[in-house]
Amino acid sequence: MKKPFRLLIIDDAEEILTALTNFFTQKKYDVVSAANGLDGLKHIESKDADFDLIITDLVLPNISGVAIISIVKKKFPDTPVIAITGWGEHPESLAKEAHADHVLEKPFKLPELEQLVKKLLNR
Amino acid sequence: MSDNSKSKTGPPIVGVSKNIVRVRELIEHVAQTGLNTVVFGESGVGKEVVAQNLYQKSPRVGKPFIKINCAALPEGLLESELFGYERGAFTGAEQRKKGKFQLAHSGVLLLDEIGDMSLSLQAKLLHVLQSGGEFSPLGSEKEVKADTWVIAATNHDLKKEIKEGKFREDLYYRLNIIKIHLSPLRERPEDIPPLIDFYIKEYTAMLNNRHIETPGAKVIDRMCTYSWPGNVRELQNVLKRMLVLGDCNQIVDEIFNSERMVSRDSGPDDELNHNASLAKIIDLGGRNSPDNQSFSLKTAKKNAVEMVEREIISHVLAKTDWNRSKASKILKISYKTLLYKISDLKIVPPEK
Ligand SMILES: Nc1ncnc2c1ncn2[C@@H]1O[C@H](COP(=O)(O)OP(=O)(O)OP(=O)(O)O)[C@@H](O)[C@H]1O
Ligand SMILES: [Mg+2]
Repeated sequence: MKKPFRLLIIDDAEEILTALTNFFTQKKYDVVSAANGLDGLKHIESKDADFDLIITDLVLPNISGVAIISIVKKKFPDTPVIAITGWGEHPESLAKEAHADHVLEKPFKLPELEQLVKKLLNR
Repeated sequence: MSDNSKSKTGPPIVGVSKNIVRVRELIEHVAQTGLNTVVFGESGVGKEVVAQNLYQKSPRVGKPFIKINCAALPEGLLESELFGYERGAFTGAEQRKKGKFQLAHSGVLLLDEIGDMSLSLQAKLLHVLQSGGEFSPLGSEKEVKADTWVIAATNHDLKKEIKEGKFREDLYYRLNIIKIHLSPLRERPEDIPPLIDFYIKEYTAMLNNRHIETPGAKVIDRMCTYSWPGNVRELQNVLKRMLVLGDCNQIVDEIFNSERMVSRDSGPDDELNHNASLAKIIDLGGRNSPDNQSFSLKTAKKNAVEMVEREIISHVLAKTDWNRSKASKILKISYKTLLYKISDLKIVPPEK
């Protein structure tokens, strides 16, 4: 069997984090989740990180999603990052500046997000 | 002491609380990034220590660490301090002057009390941050570019200030790429014993290890239940007092008493009124004597008002252990006004 894709999902809203984690786990992804930027960053910096794709909320406690995007794009420029945001234009434009591969506004449909993930993974 | 020399030996962040442990961990992870950072917390909680630690653990260590207090200067002066000016940019600009942004090039610029920056300067700062550090000094056509790591500190609730229209939302998000929150000391009393320990060692070394009375277990227990409105800075002052004066119990009694004084919605202090007649307070025999050349009702009134203001403000500051934010609330004037008055009336803090 092919090795499943490894995803890191960061969101401080528990319902969303659980929903996304469950959804992608069911779709046979290998999902790691974090509820704030620092915990997410620790996963990214850990030795066995090798994430295929990262999904992050933008407004987070301590380390923002914008910071996560900047750090990932510097360390692993080839790892695609999807930003999800419910906070309007400002964080969104910052995410684009930090070179997020895609910014998805809340609310969105899970299949829509999955399509996006597939597209970025097949690039 | 210059900003540069102080920063090289910033103190460690002492504490065992969840908040402090997390903050230390956060610093380890973000100091390398140079991403815009805001440190939130009440006065005296250690915001500057956090900024210094970020700097020390960053690749920018050894480069300039420049601090500027956005609340202490009037708008125009703050602007020229930040961005500098060309010779002749305005009357009095006899020499070209580099701004702090430029002086902090390749290092760190700490924008203290960012919540007090005027909206128009906020716009200018936003512009500089958006352009990656480009700006033109006052009176100059040319753009300068500074690679400066901006760390801001504030004791304001910026979210609330956005709602009130006092802080720009776009600037808020641009600065808050990393957010570090320091809890007030009263919410992490478990940090008090290690802080006491740390500073007692430090101060006794300074006092040449002369035999001195240090607070015992009972006193430390009591200190853990006090509210510390001035946070770690107040704790430092109390410890210094204890080491110099001895009689730790008495000093703890005093801080609890002053706590009651401040929280009690106190009317004017009687001492002020009883001991001197009005003519004496106004100094009609001396500085404000009608015999003086410069006498006029207007100047005498101005002098008298200043005297009264100085007296009242000093009194409240002493009672709040120089917690300016608390003092401004008691005085019912804005924090900014208070800082302005402190400098205008030349009120100086007690020796630390
Ligand atoms: N966790 C800590 N460990 C050791 N020293 C500390 C700690 N927190 C604060 N201090 C000390 O307390 C004093 C006040 O701290 P600091 O100047 O950083 O506070 P601040 O939050 O910047 O205050 P302000 O709002 O008044 O500017 C400093 O001398 C600092 O070294
Ligand atoms: Mg400070």
